[in-house]
Amino acid sequence: MSYYFTILSPTDTPVFNIAFGTSKSGGDGIARFRFPDTAQYMNQFIIHSSLDIVEEAQWTNGAMYLKHVDTYPPAAAYISAFLTPSGVRFLLLHQPPQLSNSGGSSGFGASSILGSSSNLARGSTSSIAANPTSPQTEEAVRQFMTEVYENYVKTAMSPFYKQGAEIRSPVFRTRVTAAGKKWL
Amino acid sequence: MAAPPRHSAMLSMNSAVATPQPMPGDMSQGPPQSLTPQPSQGLRVPSNRKTIYDRHLNRSRNAELSRASFAYLFAEMVTYAQRRVTGIQDLEKRLNEQGYPLGLRLLDLLFYRTTTTSSSALSSSSTSSSPPNRPLRILTLLHLIHGPLWRLLFGRSADALEHSVSPDTPNEYMITDNDPLVNTYISVPREMNQLNCAAFVAGIIEGVCDGCGFEAKVSAHNQPTEMWPSRTVFLLSFGESVMEREKVLERSGIK
Amino acid sequence: MTSPGDVTPVKPPPSFSPGSGRNASKLRYPEEQEPTVSIDAELVESRSVSSPSPSIPASTAELPIRSASPQARSIRSSTPQLARSSFGSPFEGRFDGSEDIRSLIIRAFSPTVAVYASEDTDDLVRNKGFKGGFWDLLRPFGETVTGKVIIRDSVGASRAWEDFGVRFVDLKTLGRAPTGQDPGRDSPLAQIEQVLEKQLGASDGSSGTQVPAKDILGFSATTPPSKLFLRQLLCSTAASPHETFGHPVASVIAISSRNKAPLETLRRLYAETNTGEQRLPDWIHQEYLRYYVLVHDEERDDITETTKLYDQMKRHFGLHCHLLRLRSSQCVVTDDDSMQVPHCEWLSPKEHLLGVGETETLVDLGTDGTSHIFDSDVSAIKSFVRELIVQSIIPYMENRVAVWNDQVAARRRGISGRFMSLSKRWAGFSSSSRSGASGSSGGNGGNYDTEHNFYRQETPEAILRKMADFAFMLRDWKLASSTYEMIRSDYGNDKAWKYHAGAHEMCAVSMLLNPLAMSAKLKLESVDQMFETACYSYLTRCSDATHALRCLALAVELLKSRGGSATESAARWAMRVMDFGLVGSVGQILFMERVAACYASKTPVGGAKWGARRRKAGMWSLLAADQWLQAGRPTLASACLEEAERLYADVLEVDGVFPLPEMQSFVDNLRRAVTSDYLQARGFTAQDEPASGEAGGTEEFSEKLDKRKHRRSLMGLPSQLDAGNLISGGPRDPDDQPNDDFERA
Repeated sequence: MSYYFTILSPTDTPVFNIAFGTSKSGGDGIARFRFPDTAQYMNQFIIHSSLDIVEEAQWTNGAMYLKHVDTYPPAAAYISAFLTPSGVRFLLLHQPPQLSNSGGSSGFGASSILGSSSNLARGSTSSIAANPTSPQTEEAVRQFMTEVYENYVKTAMSPFYKQGAEIRSPVFRTRVTAAGKKWL
Repeated sequence: MAAPPRHSAMLSMNSAVATPQPMPGDMSQGPPQSLTPQPSQGLRVPSNRKTIYDRHLNRSRNAELSRASFAYLFAEMVTYAQRRVTGIQDLEKRLNEQGYPLGLRLLDLLFYRTTTTSSSALSSSSTSSSPPNRPLRILTLLHLIHGPLWRLLFGRSADALEHSVSPDTPNEYMITDNDPLVNTYISVPREMNQLNCAAFVAGIIEGVCDGCGFEAKVSAHNQPTEMWPSRTVFLLSFGESVMEREKVLERSGIK
Repeated sequence: MTSPGDVTPVKPPPSFSPGSGRNASKLRYPEEQEPTVSIDAELVESRSVSSPSPSIPASTAELPIRSASPQARSIRSSTPQLARSSFGSPFEGRFDGSEDIRSLIIRAFSPTVAVYASEDTDDLVRNKGFKGGFWDLLRPFGETVTGKVIIRDSVGASRAWEDFGVRFVDLKTLGRAPTGQDPGRDSPLAQIEQVLEKQLGASDGSSGTQVPAKDILGFSATTPPSKLFLRQLLCSTAASPHETFGHPVASVIAISSRNKAPLETLRRLYAETNTGEQRLPDWIHQEYLRYYVLVHDEERDDITETTKLYDQMKRHFGLHCHLLRLRSSQCVVTDDDSMQVPHCEWLSPKEHLLGVGETETLVDLGTDGTSHIFDSDVSAIKSFVRELIVQSIIPYMENRVAVWNDQVAARRRGISGRFMSLSKRWAGFSSSSRSGASGSSGGNGGNYDTEHNFYRQETPEAILRKMADFAFMLRDWKLASSTYEMIRSDYGNDKAWKYHAGAHEMCAVSMLLNPLAMSAKLKLESVDQMFETACYSYLTRCSDATHALRCLALAVELLKSRGGSATESAARWAMRVMDFGLVGSVGQILFMERVAACYASKTPVGGAKWGARRRKAGMWSLLAADQWLQAGRPTLASACLEEAERLYADVLEVDGVFPLPEMQSFVDNLRRAVTSDYLQARGFTAQDEPASGEAGGTEEFSEKLDKRKHRRSLMGLPSQLDAGNLISGGPRDPDDQPNDDFERA
């Protein structure tokens, strides 16, 4: 599973972003997205396009953790969202590793006939690396988000941090990386 | 990813001085669009090597602050705001603007504390306790301000919450504090009797409303009574977009 | 270089706006409008008569460049493209567009009328210049009937339809085409792809012909390429056993007044359709309406003789007769009452490739391929077709539906029917091992002929399907969907997978077409489920890619036209098409555009700000633009790019500036590449390109275009790009208040 985590201000300005891979079940923590190296912008496109859904969910669901909100089927990219009360969006794109038998460079390869839902069911069911929509994954992402939220609040409390500005603290980055390692 | 050295931590609480000065981190950063961590030299590091990220946010939760020092700090803020102002309205605006970012921050802190306490109270079986919801409707927001926010700030709830009775202004709500803490040690000169220094608190409320996505104008007004000479009414008037959304949410039955 | 300050937002007086499309482009480049007014007006005029003369001002006006004007935001939705102005924004155009698509889909499933003419009739018509004979002459006139057609549904309610039509086919080819065609080499899908290539090639070549390009750029309602694709797809499926849309509802049997033995010939022709060599395959119901036509040669024969013969005909063959009076000589353009023969709307991809529809794809009227016909002949044929449909075909179909509904469907709905299907199922279970061993076709006790994979025409399963199809063609979607729903599980029990798929497909389609049904979300889910089943049966169990694609394309278009949350479903199905790899490279891009269009058509709910899918639509538009560019079609790429910018305009804080840096650089690169490719395709040489936005190249570039009309806009490009890079580089601080010490987020 590869992850792309972004914090966006209420006006969609990126505040923080990081890409990492799973550290569970022997993962080395390095992100390997399905897009070719020349198309890494797709992560941002998918994140950005999911804001349509987040904005809708924002007013229908009062929880801070909105769970899995959006999917980009061609690349099997799943978006989970967390909203702070002050309107800052934490968006996590997670993408299961590409199965070796499904070809196709840009994600338009052949997949199972039954579509996205069934091609996820193939892997081992309990591991979060295999199934982005399972309750286990939801819970792990929730824990991750909550931990990031704590660190975000600490950042926001600092008088030198201005709301909506980029978070440049290396400590914050270390913290997020650690949370990713711990939960995802 | 290599772990950056701990000593590069910045944004320590120790450096919290009231006068803004160039942020040390600004100069040591690399190209802004690369969000990679860069070991920045020349940062002031706390001697105990503890950054703000190492402190627990709930530690100061029940900490008491000397009222005298608060009164002094607030007095300084008023004085500071009074510099270069053109009139009472301008002064109130400045006080409001000082409160606004505080409101934004308190909002996150407030929710963080509610989340963690509720889950720790149930011995971290977090699945059974759901964290509080973000306010989606005006009324839940007002209750949030009236209750939890007031308790966080002043240790008690506000005294009244009212909706405007006039049909022309359905977007106006009032929160009353009979004896606002900020005004306790302030007596306003006669020529400035329109001034209410609780404009600072109004700014905090505005920050909270805006942060939650409820665009609003909040102002503080003197409404003294026999019993409460410094009784203050905070008038919240929500923007048109908020009222429209309110109608939509009403229709779709969202509380 | 242009700085944003140079561009003073001058609002042009309305008198300077000859057309709404031009109006928009002038707003965008306000300071130039006075010198260009006359040219613009001229341009509009020439466009309105669709003259193919390529004009360079027009081509530069289409450049996907946004000016640095501060007004850009308020006017961004308007593009300088004339073709698009007629469609307007997707919100204005959505309803019309979806109605259009619905009508297209409905007309795709028109009743089929076979034409079987005697030799002498065909000869007579061939003399008139119609190579295919009588069928060829009738064909274009069947597609739309003049005037309203009133149809009564199963509960007796009447409704008038403007767009009713029938499909005339040649009886000799009916039912034989699919067997004669070898499936591997030139499958219909490959043919569709070829047609698309051809069409787009004609429009986006480097030759500079602009008119077809105009035609395909109307994006918002539905792009004509995607409409062309849909139309091609809908008529590429030949008659097959599992659905009766290609089966004849009626057959026109024609003789001419030249015939020496008219009545005998008619009898012989009838017999041939019934038993002889023209007998249709077994899976086609043999019982269909026979309609007898006597073609009278106005120039060589005596009308009194013919009338006498016609009276005789009516005595022998009943009421379904018509006397059609035609002139036998060929009509040429110079004749007084000559009329151009209308184009056939429904040409199969194969016919397109053979050049039958050349006149449609290439607007080249001077050359051959267009035949003419006398005005009197046209009105004679039109009234014949109308009489055929209104007085014979529709009453016949209404009658059949009523009869089958009473006799077959009612029994199936009743207790005994349920018991029958149940007992059949039991029989199927108990005998499954036996039939597996013996391999006999009738082993499982069902009516399904497993050897030939069809139901015989007289079985209830076949009749019910036919009844549902009739109801569908008569636009009684309620009856159709309930009938499909009733029979779809039967087919599954019999493992008649293609029937199974077809019934699910049409059940979902008729549910979606029924304007009254389905408001609840639950229904939408069941429709999705039906499409899913249909598609699985078509693709996996029958490996029938054409039908699977048709099913999915219908799903996309109809769900999209439903609006609301159905549009998301539509977008998902369009993505599924791409995922399955059912379409070729051009088709892939078309479906990307469809995804964008689906998302773009989703509008916010009520007064809320949320609910739209602008960002998604914008993203798909950009991706499509990228793909078009890679496919070497800069015109289409630029159209998509424009569309994307229009879609993004609502969600971006600053117009054209994306908050996320990687997105920004992708968009900037794309914009630049599209511009240079576009100019190259329009005949500008490569050296004039801006060398990746450098100042030197830019100067030269704008100098080159100095003579053109929209110089300002071109100059605006590099500065805008630079600005974009700068801004996207670092964290922006939109609310930096220099006069205050306090932040205000």
